[in-house]
This record gives sequence, C-alpha cells and structure tokens, in this order.
Amino acid sequence: MLINKDTKVLVQGMTGKEGQKATKAMLDYHTEVVCGVTPKKGGQEMEGKPVFDTVGEALEQFPDVNTTAIYVPPFAAKDAIMEAIDSGIATISVITERIPIQDTAYVLAAARERGVWIIGPSSLGYIVPGVGRVGVVGGPLVDEIFMPGPVGVISRSGGMTNEVSWQLRKAGIGQRAAVHVGGDLLMGTTYVDLLTMFQEDEETKAVVVFGEHGGRYEFEIVKMVADGVFTKPLAVYVGGRFASTLPQGVPIGHAGAIVARGESAEDKEAALRDAGVMVAERYEDLVGLVRPHVS
Amino acid sequence: MNLYEFEGKSLFEKYDIAVPNGVLVRRGDDYAAAYSGLKIADVVVKPQILGGGRGKQGGIRFCTSHEEVARACEELFDADFEGKYVAAVRIEEKVDIAVEHYVSITYDTKFAQPVLVYSARGGVDIETVADEEIQRFLLDVRVGDINVQLAHAKDLKGVRQVCAHVWKCFLNEDVRVIEINPLAELAPRTKFEGARWVALDAKVVLDDDAFYRHKEWGEFEPRTMMGRPPTERETAVAKIDEGEGYYRGTAGKYVELDGDIAVLFSGGGASIASMDALKTHGLSPANYTEYSGNPPREKVRELAKMVLSKPGLRGLWIAGGVANFTDVAETFAGICDALDEVKPSYPIVVRRAGPNEEEGMRLMRECGERHGLRMKLFGKEVGIGETAKVLAEMVKE
Repeated sequence: MLINKDTKVLVQGMTGKEGQKATKAMLDYHTEVVCGVTPKKGGQEMEGKPVFDTVGEALEQFPDVNTTAIYVPPFAAKDAIMEAIDSGIATISVITERIPIQDTAYVLAAARERGVWIIGPSSLGYIVPGVGRVGVVGGPLVDEIFMPGPVGVISRSGGMTNEVSWQLRKAGIGQRAAVHVGGDLLMGTTYVDLLTMFQEDEETKAVVVFGEHGGRYEFEIVKMVADGVFTKPLAVYVGGRFASTLPQGVPIGHAGAIVARGESAEDKEAALRDAGVMVAERYEDLVGLVRPHVS
Repeated sequence: MNLYEFEGKSLFEKYDIAVPNGVLVRRGDDYAAAYSGLKIADVVVKPQILGGGRGKQGGIRFCTSHEEVARACEELFDADFEGKYVAAVRIEEKVDIAVEHYVSITYDTKFAQPVLVYSARGGVDIETVADEEIQRFLLDVRVGDINVQLAHAKDLKGVRQVCAHVWKCFLNEDVRVIEINPLAELAPRTKFEGARWVALDAKVVLDDDAFYRHKEWGEFEPRTMMGRPPTERETAVAKIDEGEGYYRGTAGKYVELDGDIAVLFSGGGASIASMDALKTHGLSPANYTEYSGNPPREKVRELAKMVLSKPGLRGLWIAGGVANFTDVAETFAGICDALDEVKPSYPIVVRRAGPNEEEGMRLMRECGERHGLRMKLFGKEVGIGETAKVLAEMVKE
C-alpha cells in the first residue's frame, strides 16, 4: 500500500506557509517526515526537522528518503520536481496547483522514463488510515474522518476525498486508502493506476470514485471493468450533470473539467452503467452502493 | 483562454504560418470602408466567436463588393450562432484552394504529452473523417525540434514545415489547443506571398496557468464562453486572483447565470456536486462560484461582495465539503464581512466543515444574530445535498 513503515518523507518548500502546515499535519499523523528543502533556507529547522538548500544535500544526510511532497509555488514546480526525479526519489506527491500544463507534461515524461511515481499535480496527497498520510488529507479532523477499513477512495477533488471518506465513516465503514488524484487535465497517477493497486491489495473489498465531467479518464475505468482487469465492487459518482445546461466550454469545476463532446457526466454515467459499474446519482449515495459488499 | 480567430492568426504570423490578408471590424464600424481599404475584390467575411460551428450555421460569407460586405457584416453581427457572442467580424482575402488539410496539436491525457493530428481531408469536422485518413503523432514537450520526432513519419510531404512552425508556436506560447482547419494547400502556380500553405482558420486555447510568463496576454480583451460579453461582476471577480499572490488560494471564479439563488461553494468537486444538487431540488443558480486552496479573508470578502451584489436574489447557499486545509474561520470571516454590508433578507443556508469549523460557525451565527438574518447552519453531520433541500423549502415559504 502507498505508505508503510519504510516511508520517509522530504518536504520541498517546507518553510512556506502551506509547507509548514503540511509538515506538522504529517508528523501529527505519525508519518516520518525526516527533512525539508527550501533554496537559501538551508540550516534552519522546521518542526524540529532540518532544512537544506537542495534535494542533493538533503539526500546526503538522509539517503533513505523515498517520498517527497512538493509545496513550492507553481512557477518553481518544474525545477523542484526535476530535482527530485534527478535525485532518484521514487514517489513524488505534487500538491502545487496551477502548474502550467507544459511543465506538467515535461516532468511526467521524465518521471515515466525513470520509473518515478508522481501523484498529482494539484493533489492534496493521500492517506492510508492508521499508517500515515502524505500531504494534509483529513486536515485537523483526520481522526474523525478516517479509520482503517476495506474501502479504497479515489477522487478528482481534494475536498470531496475528505467528504466521501466522511460519508463512509459516518456509516461505520473505514477506508483502506484515500487518494486525491488532482483536478488537472494531466494526472501523474490515474484511476487505472490506483484501481490496479486496489485490485491487487487483498484487504481492499470495494472502491468508490468521485469523478467529474470532462476528460477521458472515466472511460478508462469502463475499459478496465469490461476487460475484467478490475473485478471488485466499484461505485462511481460523476459530478457535473448540471453543466449540460450551460454553453459548451464554460469552465466549471477543475481545470481538467473542460468538457469536449462525448465527455459529459451523462456520457460517462451511461458508459459506466453499461460496464456494470454502480453509478451514484448523488455523491451521498456512494456509501449505500458499496455497503452491502463490505459488511 | 480561448482566442478568437483573428487573435490566433496574429499569433500564427509571428511563427511564419501564412494567413490570408484581412481586416477586423467591430460592431458599428464603417464596414464598406474597411473592405475598400483592403484593396482585394474577392473576400470571405467571418464572425469572430469563441468555439466552432459557425461554418455549418451559415457564418461564412463570400463577397465581391462593398455593398455585399456591408450587408454581410450587418447580418453576422445580428445572427445567432448557438448563443455565441459575435465580438467582431473579419474580412479576409479569399484564396484559391487546391486541397484542404487539417492540423492540430492538443494534449493526450493517456500519454500526458501533446499529440499532432494531421489529415489531408480537412475543411470538415475532423470527427467525421475516417480513422485511416487521420495520422497521429505523439510528441514530447522536452524536444523542441519536431523534425526529430517526425523522422519516421511518411506522407507528411509539404505540411512538415507547417507542423514545425505550429509546434514552435505551441511550446513558446504555452498553448493547450491549436487547430488549423482548413490548412489550405494552394492551387498550382497561385502562391500566396510566397507561401503554398495558408491557415484559413485558427482555433487556439492558451494555458491560463502560464500567464505569469506571458505579460502580453494582459492585452487580450475580456471574454467569456457564455455567449455574451463578460458582465461587470465577472470582470471584477477575475481581478481578485491577479497579482503576486495569485496562487495563494483561488477566489476569482464567477460565472453569472440567469437564476436567483446566489452560491458560494468551496472546492471544485464540491461545487459541481452542489450545482447538481441545486438542480435536483428545483433551484436555479444566480451564479457559479467556487473558492479553494485556503484563500485569505480579503479575497473571499471581495468575492462574496460581488456574489451578493446581484439584484433579485431569493436565497444564498454557502456550501462545501469537509475541508482539508482551507481555514473555515478565515474564509467565513470574509463572507461575514460581505454579509455585514449587505444584510440580506432572503434565506441563507450554510453547510461546511474542516479546520477551525467551530470558530467559523460561531462567526457566521453571530453575524446572523447581529442582523436578524434568516440563516440555518449545518456541519458535516448533514450531507451537502440535503442542505440544498432545506434551502429550497425556506425559499418556498
């Protein structure tokens, strides 16, 4: 699973406002944050963890870092991510929002060549309840919202990662892991990657997805299910039905949610239903759909 | 940001992609004089709208006299292209076409890289062209020289050079979508100012997130995809996220709609789920608005003021999921600032949870009590959709 006892986290942009908060949030949830990087802030400490000028310097002192959380501003993100890739860090969680798409494509191409796993961009991060979190998923209410359990949660939306996990918890169902894949057009980690992971994981009994209109990603779920690659109970909500009342091209929701022909919420719901996926009318209904499969 | 054809074409000229000579006229200009100034007899007159489909809807007019041009312009400014707003009309030299081709570069989400699409069957909707007549080449943003990437491509012939220019434009200008359809191959012996290939149309979408490295984008006229010029409120809200701290929380999203229920949503995902819920309960939104990423009080205050400034409102729904890191107290303080000024008499329903939720709810409750507002507050124990129902009932009373 995404986070385990060997996970050692570096925070790039640790001294910034959100980087600081995230460092504390991860430590509070018993995640091993070992150090941080902020150019020109080397030598400082944050939450008792040393800050270095470069990723290279950080790794000299902490060679077993295997995960980095990117909290730098969008105009510095490409360089920061490339620094992490070039330093050989295996997993990169990109929290930064509003990275130019060309920069995202650049780092995703480099990551693919080097076998590096990128989650995001524009992702809050991910959590394995009871084990740890990378990023601030759950925020200060993390123990009210998350508890270990059998349901995988995947969401295009950060807030709804939490909200859907809360709906499960309210019904007495815990989460195996919850991942915010980010709302951009390009995603380092897609539904397919995560469904593959949940399929292989024995403890995962069902998965819920908060999807959105626009883009092609939900159709990849359809293919996985139709091809018998993903076989566990799966419930999906596709937001954006109201958008059919607006002119085409009006930006609603996330950056990835610019809708082209055949990519409306209705198109996706129909394709998912045809493949046998449980489709929720409202996001609140996701819980009721998976409940019979996990109790 | 979607560009108008004339804007796309001036971008093309910068990258040596030939375009026909033309002139732009605005509503109320002297159309005939603009045509005479061109000193070209055979012209094409085209409305400048965002989004395609104008050809199919009779938007392309061929004219040969200033009377025809003037009439065409009058008609096009008044015509309805599926509700799209005609910002201007371009009067352009008609070129002698031998073959209409198609070229585009867009991002392929599966490979997370740009893909070049080419067909020798241009001039029509590319989705109607048979698959075997379309060629696709996956590109790599890290490689500036397209010839290296197209080394194995056959059948590209003369269009290869155009593709190189298009690729350069795509990378340098931070383009998300670029489409030339048709790309005209001129009839033999009828070169256009030395060019054999001429872009007759231009569809370009720029990447808004790259604006910080394109100061020149500030010169583009305001626009919206809503089929009308941007409203005053939309223009004002768009300014909220400008400036140095543009990435520190987003609060600059406002689309003005026809309904009477003002909304202030938190988070992209929650906002669309909430809009769906509003529709389900028969309420009609006055706007689409969403703030996220922990914006400061000042940004939220400006946004909330604009949302509440629309006349004729019958309700306000402040809704969001369980926030991860957006500070509920900070953002609600901004909303309360606006409520303190406006003191709405219509019902208000709030649903929110997350960091500092107790403090945020206290601020909201006290604001309600201070002005005797008809306000109901809900935390995470009630689903977002259910609170839409509560608002619907309050509005009906």
